[in-house]
Amino acid sequence: MLKMQNLSKVYRTHMIETQALRGFDIHVREGEFVAVTGPSGSGKTTFLNIAGLLEEFSSGEYLIDGVNVAGLDDNARSRLRNEKIGFIFQGFNLIPDLNLFDNVDVPLRYRGFDSAERRRRIEQSLTQVGLASRQRHYPAELSGGQQQRVAIARALAGSPKLLLADEPTGNLDSNMARGVMELLEEINAAGTTILMVTHDPELAARAQRNVHIIDGQVSDLEHETRRALASLSTTPEAV
Amino acid sequence: MFRYYLSLGFRSLRRNPVLTALMVLTLSVGVAASITTLTILHAMSGNPLPHKNEQLLVPLLDNLPADNGNDDGEPPEQLTFMDAMKLWEQKAASRQTPLYGLSPAIDSGRADLPPFFTEGVAIGRDFFAMFEAPFLYGDAWSAEEDARAAKVAVISRSLADRLFDSGSNPVGKTVRISDNDFSIVGVLDSWNPVPKVYRLIGSERFDTSEDVFVPIRTAVALEFDRNGSMDCSSEPPAPGFQGYLQSECNWVQYWAELDAASSRSRYADYLLAYVNEQKALGRFVRPPNNRLYNVGEWLDSRGVVDDDTRTSTWLSFAFLLVCLVNTVGLLLAKFSARPGEIGVRRALGATRADVFRQYLTEAAVIGVVGALIGLVLTWSALAYIRSLDASLALVTRLDGTMLVTAVAVSIAASLLAGLLPTWRACQVVPALQLKSQ
Repeated sequence: MLKMQNLSKVYRTHMIETQALRGFDIHVREGEFVAVTGPSGSGKTTFLNIAGLLEEFSSGEYLIDGVNVAGLDDNARSRLRNEKIGFIFQGFNLIPDLNLFDNVDVPLRYRGFDSAERRRRIEQSLTQVGLASRQRHYPAELSGGQQQRVAIARALAGSPKLLLADEPTGNLDSNMARGVMELLEEINAAGTTILMVTHDPELAARAQRNVHIIDGQVSDLEHETRRALASLSTTPEAV
Repeated sequence: MFRYYLSLGFRSLRRNPVLTALMVLTLSVGVAASITTLTILHAMSGNPLPHKNEQLLVPLLDNLPADNGNDDGEPPEQLTFMDAMKLWEQKAASRQTPLYGLSPAIDSGRADLPPFFTEGVAIGRDFFAMFEAPFLYGDAWSAEEDARAAKVAVISRSLADRLFDSGSNPVGKTVRISDNDFSIVGVLDSWNPVPKVYRLIGSERFDTSEDVFVPIRTAVALEFDRNGSMDCSSEPPAPGFQGYLQSECNWVQYWAELDAASSRSRYADYLLAYVNEQKALGRFVRPPNNRLYNVGEWLDSRGVVDDDTRTSTWLSFAFLLVCLVNTVGLLLAKFSARPGEIGVRRALGATRADVFRQYLTEAAVIGVVGALIGLVLTWSALAYIRSLDASLALVTRLDGTMLVTAVAVSIAASLLAGLLPTWRACQVVPALQLKSQ
């Protein structure tokens, strides 16, 4: 589903050069649920941004669903992002003056579906996250957990093959976080590949595979080791 | 997608209403100022007879004395009565008319409507066809009535409504004009050519058309005084009205209509021959210095659009530019408050071009609202100008062309103002915005 080989990302200013990723190799297979952990500043978000085609990489190779993204122009990257990738952000990133229906509608508009198809998909995805009855409500009228569910519905509406989640439960209390995590597991069970950045070892432990990033490089942990680490750790940063 | 962007644009008006109101107000004031002056300029510089531009001609003849002290090289702007009548009688063009202004007194004979003065012109019958005056009832008087100075008149619809039962046909009835009974042969429908091209000499160029039209021979026979300017290069040979008829005073305007523009040079030759013939009689002492203007040339030469009007139009557009710069600033403020939304839309599949189109449409929506309010302001400003100077009534009308121009100017201005803020919006790096949300 997602394959990066010897990828590097360098941020340059006129004074400093920062190597965010180097020799970065990862292969995520279709249907996997991969948790990405690592200390702050290790390159997790850079990796996720590159994976989501929101940032360019400096060198290396990146294939998503068999498509080599190197050299694609803005239109092609945007189309690929729209068709294959769904995003879930820590801060939900709903558009405040659009109601839930219109928020979920955003990616579908760019896909060019007709209105009947858009309506069908919006209602289906809002039903999936349990908010079908509130489609005319605005984000400010919902709890944090509900807002994140709307963001998930928005990510799902376009039927993406890959879901990128950046600390999806970071702004939620444990109850809500559990609910969101269960929803992600359901989505994964239905066949969607999920790549989730998290600081929470408990959440990481629920993923099928854990990818640890340190100093811009991948350190893929075995499932059992990861479970052991999770049970020992007391703080997210210890993972 | 355009409808989607449009709905987002209208929705966005509600977001940050103070900023939106400021932008709309700035734009509408700029549009109102420019469209108000442009409306006046447009009306003043219009040609009410564009399809006859080449056929209708004003001939001018130079009858000034040889030692004319104040010589700008131009012949007088009107003809003498003698020349006008000779040209008219010779009928060298397919249609022709002399013309002078009147200020006749109308006596309705009714107790409830005391006698009053109105505006009129003394003309030949061709006048109506030449300037396409629309008849509501009746028709022009005949050539025979012209020749025998019959007491016939064509009156305006407004005068007919004032004198008789509104809506009734007064043809055949009598109207008392300056103590003489005239038989009404025709009634003109509302007719206001702007500028009043047939009467650009004097201050009536933007007035409504006259109420009374009578044959010039009749007016002269009854010694109806002229209401208009006169230039005399020598003393009239006799005192009073009859003296002016035989004088070298220029007070009659003249128009000729040719079948085709190609006959203009032939008409110029005819005028030259006429002047030479008069020279033989001791008139026209200067070298031949005739002029022949078509409608457009006549409007230009008369300076129908004055410099003040041109200057105010330029100034108002400079003001619109200032408003535009302010709108750019306000749009920058409005758009720069939304990098998060741009980041989200980019992440969800919007291309830079999508963002560009969305935000430019949003700017255009502000332009549409600005245009609507600008039109209300324009209409109010024109009404105010009319209240200050009633003679500008005809040039302060907001017609369809100016309505469309106002909307187009406003939308174009908002699009122009929106270019930089929209371009800046497209430069938002989604990755940065999404994390910082």
